[in-house]
Amino acid sequence: MIIGAKQTHSLWQRWWPYLVVILGALLVFGVAHDDQLYQTPILKIQSVKQISSDKQSDQFNNEDRQVEQELDGVITNGNDKGKKLKIENTYLKSQATTLGYHRGQKVFLTVHHNRNRISATISNLKRDTALAFTVWLTVSLLLVLMRFSGLMALTSVIVNGVLFWLAVSWNTHTQGGIVLAIFGGLAIVFAALTLLIVIGFNRQMLMTLLATIGGTAIAIIVALAVFALTHERGVYYESMQYVTQLPRPLFLAETILGSLGAVMDESTDIIASLMALKTEKPDISAKQIFKSGRQIGGEIMGPLVNVLFFIFVAETLPLALLFLKNANSWGYTFNMTMSLGVVQSLISGIGIVLTIPLACGITSLMIGGHKSWGRLQR
Amino acid sequence: MGTITALGLLLLICMVAVGGTQGLQAWISLLFNFGALFFAMVLMAFHFSPVLVTLVTGIIVLAMTIFLGGNDSNSTMVAFYASVAVLILLVILIIPIEHWAQIQGFGQEDSEDLEGMSTILGISYLNVAISTAILSTLGAIAEAAIAIAAGLAEILEQHPKITLKNLQAAGFKVGSQIIGTTFNTLFFGFFGGFLALFIWFAGVHYSLGEILNDKILVGEVLMVLFSMMSVIATIPLTTWAMVASERQARKKV
Repeated sequence: MIIGAKQTHSLWQRWWPYLVVILGALLVFGVAHDDQLYQTPILKIQSVKQISSDKQSDQFNNEDRQVEQELDGVITNGNDKGKKLKIENTYLKSQATTLGYHRGQKVFLTVHHNRNRISATISNLKRDTALAFTVWLTVSLLLVLMRFSGLMALTSVIVNGVLFWLAVSWNTHTQGGIVLAIFGGLAIVFAALTLLIVIGFNRQMLMTLLATIGGTAIAIIVALAVFALTHERGVYYESMQYVTQLPRPLFLAETILGSLGAVMDESTDIIASLMALKTEKPDISAKQIFKSGRQIGGEIMGPLVNVLFFIFVAETLPLALLFLKNANSWGYTFNMTMSLGVVQSLISGIGIVLTIPLACGITSLMIGGHKSWGRLQR
Repeated sequence: MGTITALGLLLLICMVAVGGTQGLQAWISLLFNFGALFFAMVLMAFHFSPVLVTLVTGIIVLAMTIFLGGNDSNSTMVAFYASVAVLILLVILIIPIEHWAQIQGFGQEDSEDLEGMSTILGISYLNVAISTAILSTLGAIAEAAIAIAAGLAEILEQHPKITLKNLQAAGFKVGSQIIGTTFNTLFFGFFGGFLALFIWFAGVHYSLGEILNDKILVGEVLMVLFSMMSVIATIPLTTWAMVASERQARKKV
């Protein structure tokens, strides 16, 4: 019986990722047919006819084509289910603010009842299936290739996602008055939880947590000092997007969160390598630990800063192009679209670099012994 | 002095103080990557094909980041080849998904930024969205490839006689060590940057359905997912590239 249990156990161990893949595929299929769950009417486009296509230009000599299309489709949910509709849609070929639609797509409608006739305009494209599919693809790849460590990575991301949303709601309840306190405090909770999941509760985790919080805090303190010394010249808070509350604390909260992950990544790497080193060579001195840590950190800091740089700055590309096409100078375009992303990358970069001595110092203090640390200082 | 100049110089000082020559190289690669990104944008504004410009920029950026980051020539070569392979796979994946989700351009949340702007642009914003997604993953690909290749190079140095099969297993082991923290780097990097948008959603009381179909949000989440997939794909591809290069090296001996 014990053998039987063992066999089912190993069978389960071997095949669980594929089970999740199959269940996920069913879920994606469900999302593709979830129209009934929406209260907004949904139209499935059955045929598309192009009515006209005219040249358009503006005062900056940009040229584009304006296309008019007629969409035929059927409503797939709600009271008007099964009714056929004809909708006209006009879009610019560049599709920066307007969209052209294709056969087979589903769109959300704003329906107007006018006596017995109904007419409608399109309010949005239904994107949930594409989103669900990509989530499914990522999770499948993660679990099939990385198995248990993949599951842990996924868990930590989900836990952080839920906490993130709770924090956002809390911020809304307090009208954004204490945004910095909420997200600063939550950064600590985020770091603690993530490290608990990734490392487990032990001395190594506590050291990593200390280095992470310290590194992020130093980055923000240094940034505030530089802001004060340079009077924030060249920091254009008015260029922040989607701002519904005071921009400066919001910007700092964004920067704290943005650097947190990278600083945590780095401290984990450095401290884990140093702990392994200590196991391998138990008589290693504090000074040597510090030196090895600095070398490991030196190798990873460059790539890590670049990770954040591309995340922060690449997403400003669409808006920056819009500014350039509206005949703004390169300098003005940079200031109004990219500068805040660059400031964020630089602050995170400083945090990432200064975390190295911090993590090395903590590790050599904790596992090198006080005496050998004393030798280093002399 | 402007704030950006001051922060940039301070970063240079910190990097050199901590990493010496390697720190200087890291700072130069950051500066170079900024130049490459800006140059790519200007080329797109002059109507060069965004996807093509991005592919070329992407390969150059990967080369600069990887070769200026590492110092062991064999492992950096492997990391570079693997990262280019990941980049190409990613492009093949991103293009159909972006066509499907149509998240290009600006959403209703952007209307304030667009006030008084002409949207007659003559550039396909679908291609711009594809380029944005590719560019935002470059750093993550380079970082993961360097981490795996460097980890394997160290194992090879310590155990030069390790079997190729064990080397492959070691690659996945290194991968499983970095995946958790790398995912969180990506998660916080992206979601930290879009905190304002989430606060907007909560403040205006978007329904779950509205959020899951919102152009900006879906676009953003897709970018996180592409980055995560690129990191996942980097682990086996870099490991296989390392195994292949080691097999070649052993044949010669």
